[in-house]
Amino acid sequence: MAGGVHAFLAEIWFGLLSLILMLYVVLDGFDLGVGMITLGSRNEHELGIMMATLGSIWDGNETWLVLFGGALFGAFPLVYGTVLHGLYVPIMAMIFGLMFRAVAFEFRENARRKRLWDLAFGFGSLLAALAQGLALGAIISGMAIENGRFTGGILSWFGPFTLLVAIGVVSGYSLLGASYLIVKTVGPLQAMSRRIALWTGWLTVAVGMGVSLWTPLRFPYIRAKWLGPDLFWLMILPIVAGIAFLMFLRSLRRYDEVAPFVWSIVIFAASLIGLAASLFPYMVPPNVTLYEAAAPSYTLVFMLTGIGLLLPIMLVYNGYQYLVFRGKITEAGYG
Amino acid sequence: MHAVPASIALSRGQFAVSTSFHIIWPVLTIGLSILLVVLEGLWLKTGNADYYRHARFWAKLFLLNFGIGVATGLPLEFEFGTNWAPFSQAAGDFFGNMLGFEGAMAFMLEAGFLGIMLFGWRRVAPAIHFFATCMVALGGSLSAFWIMVANSWMQAPAGGHFVDGHFLVTSYAAAIFNSNTPWGVSHMWVAALETSLFVIGGLSAWYILRNRYSAFFLKSLKLVLVLAFIVTPLQIYLGDGSGRWVFEHQPAKGAALEGHWETNPEGQAAAWSVIAWPDKAAQRNDWSVEVPGALSLLATRSPSGQVIGLKKFAPEDQPPLLPLLYYAFRVMVMIGFWFFLLMLWSAWYWWRGKLDADTVGHHRKLLWAWVVSIPLGYVAVECGWTVREVGRQPWVIYNVMRTGAGASALPPASVATTTVLFVVIYALLMVAFLYFAARIIRRGPDLDMPAPARRGGSLLDTRTVREAGDHPAKEAL
Repeated sequence: MAGGVHAFLAEIWFGLLSLILMLYVVLDGFDLGVGMITLGSRNEHELGIMMATLGSIWDGNETWLVLFGGALFGAFPLVYGTVLHGLYVPIMAMIFGLMFRAVAFEFRENARRKRLWDLAFGFGSLLAALAQGLALGAIISGMAIENGRFTGGILSWFGPFTLLVAIGVVSGYSLLGASYLIVKTVGPLQAMSRRIALWTGWLTVAVGMGVSLWTPLRFPYIRAKWLGPDLFWLMILPIVAGIAFLMFLRSLRRYDEVAPFVWSIVIFAASLIGLAASLFPYMVPPNVTLYEAAAPSYTLVFMLTGIGLLLPIMLVYNGYQYLVFRGKITEAGYG
Repeated sequence: MHAVPASIALSRGQFAVSTSFHIIWPVLTIGLSILLVVLEGLWLKTGNADYYRHARFWAKLFLLNFGIGVATGLPLEFEFGTNWAPFSQAAGDFFGNMLGFEGAMAFMLEAGFLGIMLFGWRRVAPAIHFFATCMVALGGSLSAFWIMVANSWMQAPAGGHFVDGHFLVTSYAAAIFNSNTPWGVSHMWVAALETSLFVIGGLSAWYILRNRYSAFFLKSLKLVLVLAFIVTPLQIYLGDGSGRWVFEHQPAKGAALEGHWETNPEGQAAAWSVIAWPDKAAQRNDWSVEVPGALSLLATRSPSGQVIGLKKFAPEDQPPLLPLLYYAFRVMVMIGFWFFLLMLWSAWYWWRGKLDADTVGHHRKLLWAWVVSIPLGYVAVECGWTVREVGRQPWVIYNVMRTGAGASALPPASVATTTVLFVVIYALLMVAFLYFAARIIRRGPDLDMPAPARRGGSLLDTRTVREAGDHPAKEAL
């Protein structure tokens, strides 16, 4: 059914969406991670500093999710309709979590008693991260889709594998958040962030290995992929992730400030590329491939001119904002 | 598996709750961001630090409002997939594309410059800061554009055709600039501006009434008045045009808005019911006060123009909740005219020299009229969306896809649970917003705040920050 050009366009969009998702996961990942780490503190000043490290950037980070949603909706309407329908509970949980943490920034700043909004921020972050992990686990597990309609039940997404993936995402985001705090803070807060980074790093890698062993055993489509002709090419990714983890441990020992964050991003990027490569050409295993799910070529080209061309510009001005607000945060406040 | 009626009704209820709560916030984001551009531009041009202080003061309200807008906007995008999966698949090629454009062109622009606009006053040069403020405003207005394009297309699907219930785009230009787009975009964008003007004007009047910072807030009241001089008549014109578009392209909606049941015979003018109680079960108005012949003039601009009546449509093709539509429409129109009159009243006082800092506080009736107008823009926006969306029923895509066919087959209990959660959380957000907004307003502006230098500074002048011992965290306070 798919002509050469159309298949190529669909693959471009698969790649572009993977890139947008990767940007979201890394950027909002450390954002949500900082949120979860705030749950461990009751010191108002510390909490204020942690939130201040996100003040000028959280909205931009979250916007990558909005962009991902819109682009997925336009480029792969079949996936958008069926997957979100099937993941009703995790998606709604994510929305409620993100809502609480979004309003917490400004409400906390204005409130005299800040505890309520501290909790809204922390638990909202945790709920959103958990829900994203559950959604990811459910997609890897495969979804019941027949004739373009989701046919499973409201809780079909739940299972031990999904739960393990969710734990991996929560701990991975915490790793990113802790490494980000090492960059942005000083003193006791930075020391605490180092400790959290160390043990969430180990936890993330342990869960990641567990998931990597479990998936080929459990899902035939992954087994076929990993043991197929792409084996050697795919092997690069766990090797890169492994090296990045060793470098991450080394940078923590050396009290580097920026390096742990960079290496945890590399771990994430390698895992996500591995995930996209393992799923390819499926978008929703075991039935829906990206070729079937893609919108017609005309739409894909039009979206590509609109969004694809803007992507580098978006990266530039988002990067500029990070540059303007670079440096350590030593005072609390929404800023 | 098709959605059962209970889950359709619940998904509609949930969407009604999420959209009607969400729209409250972008209205001020869009309108106030433009005012912030004007204020900052005035400061840069005149050097008058009061304009700078105005920008800093209203930005506090902007930020409080903005966070809730982001938080409540997120559910909408995802609800298309979760609750309206068949609609998303049928319309995704175009509709999803527009939401993607909104994300890439509008939200990202807004988010990418928001931090600099709010916290970057002493971190970047004034020109860069002004550019950031402009980009935030542009982002807000572009998001209004793309979302209204997407919605207009649901009102007037164009630019392609439906094959097996799936919309294939043949011309993006025709789909984007469908016949409803010019009216939909302009009417909503001006509504956002108008609502914001009357919020700022009303709050300024409140300060003057309380005799706090009267001279300072007289400035903003006058600025609002200048803009309202253009905006209020413009909105009446755009509302009228939107109405005539409805009679031409969505006759069932038009007839429902006016409680008009029988198509007038050729050569005979249609009567306009000024006030009535439409009754769908009986297929007539229970009672009505009519002006003979007026509807033809209003709807078609010709004394005996034909206006199609509701009875032309089978009851299942007529919009539901007729009294709601009928009165929402009237309330919106009345508020539009009230804003125009309030503008004229105030302009008259200004012209007679009654708006000067020493005596403006004496005109209590006029000032109170501004204060009570603060919520009216929001009421009009809610009414307008009710007219637009409930009036489009029973169609989700006008004349193509029925709303029921667009809903996901979800267990009613799940949708009911999330709907209740939305209602509870939104009520909480509203209470918290009003509480914190009242605190910001009671605290008032900081009239001793020194303005930064208007010239000089590099793209990234962090040296000045250190010298001043200033910190971005402080600027938010």
